[in-house]
Amino acid sequence: MIVERDVVVVGGGPAGLTAAARLASAGLTVTILDEQPELGGQYYRRPAPEVARRWGDHRREGGELIAEARAAGVECRPGHLVWGLADDGRTLLAEDAAGSPVRLRGRAIVLATGAYERAFPFPGWQLPGVTTPGFAQHLAASDHTPVGERVVLAGSGPFLLPVACSLLALGVKVAGIAEAGTPYRLGRRALGALRHPARLRELAGYVARLARARVPIWQGTVVLRADGRDRVSAVTLAAAARPGLAVRTVEVDALCVGYGFRPQTDLARMLGCEVVTDAATGDAIPVTDAAGRSSRPDVYVVGEAAGIGGAHLAKARGLAAAHAILTRETGHPTPPAEARALARLGHFTALTDALYPSPAQLLDLLLPALPDSTLACRCESVTVGEIRAEATGDVNAAKARTRAGMGPCQGRVCGFAVAGLAGGDTVFPARVPVRPVRISTLLELAAEGETA
Amino acid sequence: MNADVVIVGAGVLGAAAAWQLARGGSRVVIFDRSAPGREGSGTTAGNLHVQAVHTRRPGQEVPLDSARFLPLQRAASDRWESVEDDLETSVELRRSGGFTIAETPDQCQELKEKHTWEAAAGIPTEVLDGDAARAALPLLGPTVAAATWCERDGYANPLKVTPAYLAAAARHGAELVPYAPVREITRRGATWRVTAGEHVVETPVVIDVAGPWLGEIAALAGIRLRMTPVAIQMHATVRAPVTLSHLVQHIGEGLSVKQVTAGNLLIGGGWPAGSLNLAGRSATSTRSLLGNVALAVRVLPFIRDLRLLRAWAGPLAATPDEMPLIGEVPGEPGFLVAGGTYAFTFAPLWGETLRRLAEGAPPPVEIADLGPDRLMTQPMTHEGRQRC
Repeated sequence: MIVERDVVVVGGGPAGLTAAARLASAGLTVTILDEQPELGGQYYRRPAPEVARRWGDHRREGGELIAEARAAGVECRPGHLVWGLADDGRTLLAEDAAGSPVRLRGRAIVLATGAYERAFPFPGWQLPGVTTPGFAQHLAASDHTPVGERVVLAGSGPFLLPVACSLLALGVKVAGIAEAGTPYRLGRRALGALRHPARLRELAGYVARLARARVPIWQGTVVLRADGRDRVSAVTLAAAARPGLAVRTVEVDALCVGYGFRPQTDLARMLGCEVVTDAATGDAIPVTDAAGRSSRPDVYVVGEAAGIGGAHLAKARGLAAAHAILTRETGHPTPPAEARALARLGHFTALTDALYPSPAQLLDLLLPALPDSTLACRCESVTVGEIRAEATGDVNAAKARTRAGMGPCQGRVCGFAVAGLAGGDTVFPARVPVRPVRISTLLELAAEGETA
Repeated sequence: MNADVVIVGAGVLGAAAAWQLARGGSRVVIFDRSAPGREGSGTTAGNLHVQAVHTRRPGQEVPLDSARFLPLQRAASDRWESVEDDLETSVELRRSGGFTIAETPDQCQELKEKHTWEAAAGIPTEVLDGDAARAALPLLGPTVAAATWCERDGYANPLKVTPAYLAAAARHGAELVPYAPVREITRRGATWRVTAGEHVVETPVVIDVAGPWLGEIAALAGIRLRMTPVAIQMHATVRAPVTLSHLVQHIGEGLSVKQVTAGNLLIGGGWPAGSLNLAGRSATSTRSLLGNVALAVRVLPFIRDLRLLRAWAGPLAATPDEMPLIGEVPGEPGFLVAGGTYAFTFAPLWGETLRRLAEGAPPPVEIADLGPDRLMTQPMTHEGRQRC
């Protein structure tokens, strides 16, 4: 099947939905795709129907935004994985939930492909019960299911706070939050945030909620190891200043560790959009103008895929891209208020970033104490020591020699650590398929003719 | 610095030659523009082709000469037997045999023809009709009309072979210098002077095994060789339970399939990549991906139920006549070249051949017709010499 639209939006989270709704309401034909079975993305993840009936919607505005997009006439295609690009360089290749191929062409393409969690290995991270904070949030939001009964959250970044609050709401005992940095001390760097009262209130609200529940926040603290036989039963923490030295062991039945998010840019890079590697994060960031327009004039990159900034910024970016496309298609000028909103939100993001250790600093902190025996790549069973033995400053050579990062996750889980251990490029090449794709889908596509 | 031999290119041919020479007591220096084994030697599917290969990749203009190829394949096959013992490590070498299948009457005729050539070359193959082939390998699909079976076909992990040769060479004192692109090659009398990065080495023998850059390296020495590098692509499925222990190829179309030790199925057959990019990574072609995978499923229907994990492209140091290139450049004593398609299969043989040539000994197989003279289009300009 071939879909031709004015605009194709890849990714049904806050940015993609906002862009799609605005574009369709102005009369353009718009299709939005998402690989998940429901629109909403990670932030507006939809609760399962029975969960919604009993406990309501954790983020009502997400449902409203989806309804708005549908009402505006957006063709919604959840359950669609965009896995590649035809040789014409513009036809997106997808598979639907049933495994049938779908080809899509848009005069403009909006990539709102979101982000994935930044993980980092530690001894015992492969034990059942060890997850990312995002997974715990997903379980809580869509299934109203606690990841465990007694949980420690660890890693770094503001995201640990709302996840802890979601777990508290489910009655989970949150034994503590181990934050690698020291962001929750009022220093000079934090003062600038006072100019963003609404966003600051949100963060302060989480901190207050955690304080009421007497959840300790251990700042400057990192995970040393997780222990357990069939599943995690204890986590041992260390001071970030001396990461090899145990300071505290906590009994848990779940441990959620994450270090923020990395933009998902495979499709943007496959489409030939120019990207730069951010020195502080090591992430690929598409080069765009304020409206999200990439180096390729028909491709816009918005939301977390354009650089991590949170849901508010994602929606503002989605709207800005929609207006830029409308200006091009219909000649309507972009409302000037929008540019100001974007700048304001971007400023807040920069301020929050400054509160937490950068990924480069995290690597300096965590890598030296990481034991050689720790599993680094879980798909291909490669240890830290095996990668260190191939550390020549050329991550691609190390990957070829050890197979690290070459399994089904294609380095999404281990890539940050593998690149840190091996040295060299911090971003793995974008390859077809973006995710493993059914061969039966490829056969159907071959029978149809790839671009016909 | 002085050396007995300078090898340009740390791919599988350079590595095999380095091990042969170092073991024989030569002082060997190997330069690579990047990491060793990164290009064709790291991106190849790792097949050991002993029975005749299909004569045309998709898009290949000139068919290769199977009858001439086969004695070389036989000689290479014999040498693979001892590779793991020689290198004192596992390279996941597997000699579990392979099928070459035919679907049309013409292809069946070709199978019979190649079978007689194989017999002449001392390669045992057996011709089976479609049902006999399916009885031997029930995974084969209904369109298979005939197949030849060769017990010597095999596989070795290309990501292990080149490093294993290099490590063994290093144990005998060979020096590998990666990330050192060769910038200048000049000759004064019997002495070659090779400049790579900060290094300058004087040597009586230069071996140009630079794969897709073979022509460029030769040109530094003022030698014009007509090479036609191309990029082809490979595909891997996710891991699956191990059910296919043989190599499966097609006599008339671009197809090779095998299951590697980890369980992934590798699907190749020389389909053209989207572009050849010698400065970075060559791009894959979706059209080739679909064509190659569809062909694989037609011959081995069980693949339909798997998922495709990744596709990648790599360069091939092809010659215009598709035949191997090996020998000394006429008029340039001590300048040896080796390359061409199927270099992975030929690596142990060409490694030994290059050592013999470097030592002034006769080669182990007849190579007079495979030399670089046939690719030299114009008289040498002797630029290299004038710089001395």
